[in-house]
Amino acid sequence: MKLRMWWALARGVVLESLRRKDLWVVAILGFIIIASAGALGFFGINGLEVFAKDLAFTVLGLFSSIIAIMTASRMLPEEIKNRTLYPLLARPISRFDLLLGKLAGSILVTWVAFFMLSALAAVALAMFHVRFEWIMAQYVFVKMLGLAVLCSVSLALSTFMTPSAAATMSFVLALGSATLIRALVLAYSSASAPLQVLFKFLNCCVPQYQLFDLGSRASNIGWPAVPLWVVGFLSSYAVVYSCAMLVIGWAKFRKQAI
Amino acid sequence: MSFAILADELQVKYRSPKGAWVNAVAGLSFDVRSGEVVGFLGPNGAGKSTTIKALMGFVRPAGGRCEVFGLPAGSIQAKSRIGYLPELALYYPFLTPVETLTLYGELQGLRGAALRNQVRELLATVGLGDAMTKQNRNLSKGMLQRVGIAQSLLGQPELLILDEVTSGLDPVGRKELRALLKERQKQGCTLFFSSHELSEVEMLCDRILIVHKGRLIEERQIDSLKNELRQYLLTYRGAVPMLDLASEWNEQVEGGTYEARFSDKERLIQAISRVQEHGQAIVDVVAQEGSLEDYFVETIGRAA
Repeated sequence: MKLRMWWALARGVVLESLRRKDLWVVAILGFIIIASAGALGFFGINGLEVFAKDLAFTVLGLFSSIIAIMTASRMLPEEIKNRTLYPLLARPISRFDLLLGKLAGSILVTWVAFFMLSALAAVALAMFHVRFEWIMAQYVFVKMLGLAVLCSVSLALSTFMTPSAAATMSFVLALGSATLIRALVLAYSSASAPLQVLFKFLNCCVPQYQLFDLGSRASNIGWPAVPLWVVGFLSSYAVVYSCAMLVIGWAKFRKQAI
Repeated sequence: MSFAILADELQVKYRSPKGAWVNAVAGLSFDVRSGEVVGFLGPNGAGKSTTIKALMGFVRPAGGRCEVFGLPAGSIQAKSRIGYLPELALYYPFLTPVETLTLYGELQGLRGAALRNQVRELLATVGLGDAMTKQNRNLSKGMLQRVGIAQSLLGQPELLILDEVTSGLDPVGRKELRALLKERQKQGCTLFFSSHELSEVEMLCDRILIVHKGRLIEERQIDSLKNELRQYLLTYRGAVPMLDLASEWNEQVEGGTYEARFSDKERLIQAISRVQEHGQAIVDVVAQEGSLEDYFVETIGRAA
């Protein structure tokens, strides 16, 4: 019963998003960039496989992150602004169900966009006669997990702040979390005991997006696949972190006047 | 007696942009009995939509009690028995009316062929049979309101809460809506709606509630109010004085005729007898229906 409810909500988000033009604009932009890289191979410039793979993974990561953030951070505030939330919440569903359905929808939209871009990247890389490696499949799977985390963070932030602030904050976290975590690790070693506790806590709170980016490994030729236990750990981390974000978002949203 | 809606000393507060707490609803008490049609009236900012939002659980009351069919307002059990039409709602612009209603129907717990049939039937009933597959962004304001009405009727709700129900509808649409709502009422559905269209209210309601500044200032049965507002105009020949009976008496209106206005039938009958006793002729007797609009304006004016 609940699954059908969540699926109905998620399907609504996917349908609505796929019919909007913004998703396609991002996909076309991504295609142009990746196809440009592919064109280098077509014109016979050799030895650029690493460059092409690096470019493809960067474009994939960046554009899919933009879609994830824009979809998840705008969704709830736009529903409130456009009053589309009222008929939804007038149904016999809880606010948690609504939030979960919306999160599932934004994750699905992001994954669909990511798959589209991945397919384009695969075509472009095929023009370089790049051989498929197992690490590439791992890159796709792990990136999907990272995008789910990004969606949950953006959605949770949108319950606390305006959509533009939530989007900006999500971008800062997505692009700067690695730097922030490095800074925390550095500060930790020279900090006093109480501060070390604080830094540890902050390190746990900040989403570890960099763990979900296997682009650098996948770009290099002949690098081995990541051990399966690492993928398993990342999957668990993504599920737990996304659930935590969902609960935080719900805690704010459940009593919010709309 | 079973109540569809019960509000007892309901209070809803919100924070103004300057940070101060404002009472949108200040100790509002009323009830709506099952099967009744009740109009919820008030000027802009009176607290109508906020009260409706409290009934739907969209805002939490700061005080008082708010129940729907004896269940806490906003609870899943209460919501499963309500059909709700929000004020000025937009529907997902890139979905079609069929997809929109299917989404809401699935959330209502409807499935499969039953859902598909109900969606098509409702869209045809509200006059969107030809626009079922157009995206909502291509529909006019009136058509969107029809989508809203159709979604509120999904799942045969026992209580319909309609906020500004006639908004955006043309006269034909209003007439169709009136027929539709009357049909629902015959089937036992309770109707609670807000509207600024007082003629609609007059035609549909059993009872009206008037709120002002978050408080209930008037509650009337529409039939008794209509009787009270009805006036009789008597035109007759000859100088028969009516000052003691008439609420208004005009001497020699034209060609030796006189006009007297009466607020009740008994006095009119007495006046007719008096004219006849004086051997004078009655020219005309007209019953004039009072305007709910005037009554509304006067009531709000008194409360202000």
